[in-house]
Amino acid sequence: MDQVPTTRDTQPKACILIVEDEPMLAFALEEFLIDAGFAVLGVAGRIEKALTMIETGGFDAAILDANLAGVSAGPAATALRERGVPFIVVSGYLASQQQSAFKGALCLQKPCPPERLIEALRGILTAQRAGGAIA
Amino acid sequence: MNSLSQSALFAEVADLRTRLDGAEETLRAIRGGEVDAFVVESAAGPQVYTLQGQDAEASRVRGEMLAQVSDAVIAVDGEMRVFYLNTAAERLYGLAASHGLGQPVSKIYELRWLHPEDEAAAQAALRDHGEWRGENVHVRPDGRELNVESGITVLRDTAGQPSGLLAVIRDVSERKAREEKVLVSEVRYRRLFEAAHDGVLIVDPETRRIVEANPFMTQLLGYPHEQLVGKELYQIGLLRDEAASQEMVKKLKRTSQVRYEDLPLESQGGDHQEVEVVANLYDESGHPVIQCNIRDITERKRTEEHVKMLMAEVNHRAKNLLAVVQAVAVQTAKHGDVATFVSRLSERIGGLAAGQDLLVCNQWQGVEVSDLVTAQLAHFQDLIGTRVLLAGPTARLTPDAAQGIGMALHELATNAAKYGALSNSDGTVRITWQIRAGAEPRFLMSWLEDGGPKVVAPARTGFGQIVIGRMAEASVQGAAEIEYGSDGLSWNLSAPLKNVLT
Repeated sequence: MDQVPTTRDTQPKACILIVEDEPMLAFALEEFLIDAGFAVLGVAGRIEKALTMIETGGFDAAILDANLAGVSAGPAATALRERGVPFIVVSGYLASQQQSAFKGALCLQKPCPPERLIEALRGILTAQRAGGAIA
Repeated sequence: MNSLSQSALFAEVADLRTRLDGAEETLRAIRGGEVDAFVVESAAGPQVYTLQGQDAEASRVRGEMLAQVSDAVIAVDGEMRVFYLNTAAERLYGLAASHGLGQPVSKIYELRWLHPEDEAAAQAALRDHGEWRGENVHVRPDGRELNVESGITVLRDTAGQPSGLLAVIRDVSERKAREEKVLVSEVRYRRLFEAAHDGVLIVDPETRRIVEANPFMTQLLGYPHEQLVGKELYQIGLLRDEAASQEMVKKLKRTSQVRYEDLPLESQGGDHQEVEVVANLYDESGHPVIQCNIRDITERKRTEEHVKMLMAEVNHRAKNLLAVVQAVAVQTAKHGDVATFVSRLSERIGGLAAGQDLLVCNQWQGVEVSDLVTAQLAHFQDLIGTRVLLAGPTARLTPDAAQGIGMALHELATNAAKYGALSNSDGTVRITWQIRAGAEPRFLMSWLEDGGPKVVAPARTGFGQIVIGRMAEASVQGAAEIEYGSDGLSWNLSAPLKNVLT
């Protein structure tokens, strides 16, 4: 069956940075993202590595775990904001337990159904593109 | 007893009776105001006592007054023999009517001084000024001790020579007992005030100034006591400003108690402490006073914060674990039928639970390698020491490393039981770990199978391979090597020591 190629098919794959200290989750997330048609730049399990990778750039959006081996991922959120890179925070904390650095960011609760995460990711990428087009 | 002494005794008794009659007659005459003065025979010759002035009626009234007053009145002559005592004195010393008369005063009471120096002082006062007032103890003939307040005046004869003493005695035993009780109570509460581990301030509601502060308060604030007294509460940072201070007093007058939680208290050094203040308005013998109890709740606050943090951590970890379970389920579901999926998933969840138990037992501070190995090989407990050999130093894994290595050990054990050295009856597994010293020390761990069926590398990379491979690597940021040798599988993990051990 012939199909008219969709916009997504013609565009290069959106590249995602995973900031997650739990290897199992990082791995699972990577699998989901690849299956859903994204490219994965890499996994940062510690805040230092995350900040280095954000500094280097080369990705369109990021998924942040709020807590990296007991350290807040807040600085990574700040760095992403400064660069105008959209991101999603995934955390096990309640909204009331959330640190102020993530205020205003799209936060998903762990465990998060993979479909919802993918959907949210597409949402922030579309918003980013629309914003970019207007600018 | 011979007759001579017996007759002497009779004579003495008769003499005493005569004297007593005389004394009683004298007393009656004094009471009746019939005498202005009287003469007493004594060793020093006859003594003349002037009891009153010229007016006989005045002296009668005076005699009546002496009889009526509630204080004991006793007059003694120069030899300390009682020649007058009123009814109050008889009552006070428990004497039958007129029994004291003519007796040496020492028969009526035994005198005890409160302080040894009092006696000399009393004698000096009587000698120099003719009177003395003070407190001492009188012991009654029946042994009862009385605390008394005495006023003693020297009696003089017509020539102005001292001829006896007049004592007006008041029983102050009850008052003394009350004072004693108050003193004990004062000492007890003072001690409480001084030793309390709460700050206590007494504030005058009129001036709103501190009038008293206990030692703990000075310790809490770092101000010396004298700098606290006279200050208003807002001046020690207990209340925001003068208006707040006035408001507190107003509220106290209405409700008698005011409670503030979480007041920041500023010490002299500028440090802030969280305190709880309970202020009460009391009546102190007609004067209102404010008592403020100040409790340092820094420690309690810290504990509350800690609990809050722990709750958030527990939540984070629980959710993380659920997310891991979810990921494991998805990965496990990729291969095999539903029955295989269910049993593999259950095993893996069991492995995660075992790791969780160990972490919780150790307050999330890390896990001993040997404990981790034992927990993940719980199914092969009987083989430990025979076919499963453990060797390595005492070493404590970080929670992350414990989870990653734990899951890898679980997969290795499951694999060995299905296809490897633990699938037959004589294969062995050697699990060893060591710390390799150097400029950058490393942690090495290996799982070496021997004597099992011949193994070959699997055609496709299953989830188990991912767990013992990249997952284990990621948990310690190290390198894992897997070899499928003819004598069994070998797994070697190597990572910087600092990533693995606590």
